[in-house]
Amino acid sequence: MPTKNVADDRISKFKNKGKDPAKLRDKRINECVELRKAHKDENFLKRRNITLSSLPDEEALSPDHVLDEKVNSLTIEDIIKEVNSDSRESQTRGCQAARKLLSRERNPPLKEIIDAGLLSRFVEFLGMDDEPTLQFEAAWALTNIASGTSWHTQQVVEHGAVPAFISLLASPLLHISEQAVWALGNIAGDGPAYRDALIDCHVIPALLARITPETPVGYLRNLTWTLSNLCRNKNPFPAVSAVQQMLPSLIQLLHLSDKDILSDACWAISYLTDGSNERIDVIVRTGIVPRLVALMGHEELSVLTPALRSIGNIVSGSDLQTQMVIDAGVLSVLPQVMRHPKASVQKEAAWALSNIAAGPCKQIQQVITCGLLPPLVELLRNGDFKTQREAVWAVTNFTSGGTVEQVVQLVQGGALEAIINLLQVKDAKTILVILDAINNIFMAAEKLGETEKLCLLVEELGGLDRIEMLQNHDNEMVYQAAHNLIEKFFNDDEIKELKVDTTDDAFVFQTSEAEKTFKF
Amino acid sequence: MLLTPAPTAPNSSESKMTSVEKKDKKPDDVAEEEEEEEEYVVEKVLNRRVVKGRVEYLLKWKGFSDEDNTWEPEDNLDCPDLIAEFLQSQKSAHEGKRKASSEGNGDENKSKKKKDDTEKLRGFARGLDPERIIGATDSTGELMFLMKWKNSDEADLVPAKEANVKCPQVVISFYEERLTWHSYPTEDEKKDDKN
Repeated sequence: MPTKNVADDRISKFKNKGKDPAKLRDKRINECVELRKAHKDENFLKRRNITLSSLPDEEALSPDHVLDEKVNSLTIEDIIKEVNSDSRESQTRGCQAARKLLSRERNPPLKEIIDAGLLSRFVEFLGMDDEPTLQFEAAWALTNIASGTSWHTQQVVEHGAVPAFISLLASPLLHISEQAVWALGNIAGDGPAYRDALIDCHVIPALLARITPETPVGYLRNLTWTLSNLCRNKNPFPAVSAVQQMLPSLIQLLHLSDKDILSDACWAISYLTDGSNERIDVIVRTGIVPRLVALMGHEELSVLTPALRSIGNIVSGSDLQTQMVIDAGVLSVLPQVMRHPKASVQKEAAWALSNIAAGPCKQIQQVITCGLLPPLVELLRNGDFKTQREAVWAVTNFTSGGTVEQVVQLVQGGALEAIINLLQVKDAKTILVILDAINNIFMAAEKLGETEKLCLLVEELGGLDRIEMLQNHDNEMVYQAAHNLIEKFFNDDEIKELKVDTTDDAFVFQTSEAEKTFKF
Repeated sequence: MLLTPAPTAPNSSESKMTSVEKKDKKPDDVAEEEEEEEEYVVEKVLNRRVVKGRVEYLLKWKGFSDEDNTWEPEDNLDCPDLIAEFLQSQKSAHEGKRKASSEGNGDENKSKKKKDDTEKLRGFARGLDPERIIGATDSTGELMFLMKWKNSDEADLVPAKEANVKCPQVVISFYEERLTWHSYPTEDEKKDDKN
């Protein structure tokens, strides 16, 4: 039935009425195609991690495709024109094009963009609260420039970006605020000078204000990373007042479960504990040590590594600080860490143990009681060289601070044999440390009147031969030390005769005697 | 020889000094200053002693050789970090504690990060303004709209839940464009209604 025109217009706006069925079908087909394409694109993005926006389909599938600036995006010349125009649309187009260039994987043109004089415009855009798209693109572009070398970061800072970014932290638009967090992280990460400049601009309260129970995980990840850069670097360390401001939030973050947040928060702590005992004190007073010990056992390497480093730093502090770590249970976590498949983890664990073993004999006793000797000897035998080097320090520290009884247990555990086998390494410093340990062990033996027995044992283990050879070592300190050892303890010729008869396999101290005669 | 605090330079340990353009000062400049106070930068604390009940530290001056090292009373100094470092080195040597080696392991987290385009920025996270919705699907299990954004040729999927809150008018337009009125089907209309 014929209808009136006005009604016709309205009706034609609704789905199927008054429309040509063929056109409708075409339109439906096109929509389906678009939907399928978007779906396919999404899956590509997930699997292949490339953007298809600027590439025709065949090229997207070719791994060797190189982004052709001229064809697929604006040239820098075009960008300059757009960005410097008066139209917000052009500015946004230009800024976005710049951002895309600066975000590409291969050789983003940081210097070209800087040389094109675009930075001042980008910083201007940061202030345009009524143009969030422009703000965001500018923030992203500047973030990537600041991610370059010190020179690149300097350019960003010198164009006045810092106050603008700090203001943007308060943006009601989360993605813009987050971008500002990222940019500031890059600037802080450049070094102590910019870090302190940011702190002086009150960046810390502005950042901490963004942490709420509703803050999304992605945002918190960026924020934690930026905080870690504000804790980073020495010469000088960040001011204690700044550290005190950040600590409560860092502690909060350390109790979350996201692995990226945990990792960066632990790195922050590792930077803050890498200093004097006073600095370590600031950290341990927060009560975070038990959490750090727990994180040392985390299944993610990215969390375990900085947690272990933090603990290693803390036990390089005073005996009291070390005791706090022991009380938090580190000695039960350490064995599994010492057996970690990654060599660098084993090494750091051995280093931490060596510092614990440098403590008073009460702490050394805890080391023994908690069964740390067997994994230590394992590392001495099977670790890679850097790990063995740390393990050797553990042994020497042990022999220097341990009671006679404790030294006996060390020897019985196989440590003496293991370090004797390491006497053939090239590193002079390590040899000296080993000779020091052997010397200490002899001194313990002297206290028990068992020097001869020890000589026999050392000889059986092949130690005498090695030490004798070391008297010819290039390094003056090494041959001196070796010579002294021989002189002091091996000078009786009879010992060499006795070699044939000996069948003793174990070297046993008479512990009860030792306890009665000597006090520690 | 007064030491007054100043801003610290990036790469070396310095005591703090108060006055202005300190960053540009080179050791040569220091010697040439006349009427202004002479200000020197401590590079390192080397030793400690007690003289007549007062604690003094042996200081290495930046830009000067070791022959120019001097003992200064503790009260004149404002370089707590350097003093702490020295005291620490004394302690560790004695106790056997060894601080972390200064060369980083290379394991540390990144000091700078570039934000890649391949960051899975999709949908509203791209920060673009919605222009119009050009399609809808629920094959993912959730209702999604295909969104055309302003200033971009790249359309992508956004959850309807998000779009309903962030750009309700755009969503309404989409639905309005596609409204269809169903009446009880007669024989004629059945064919038309079939999609």
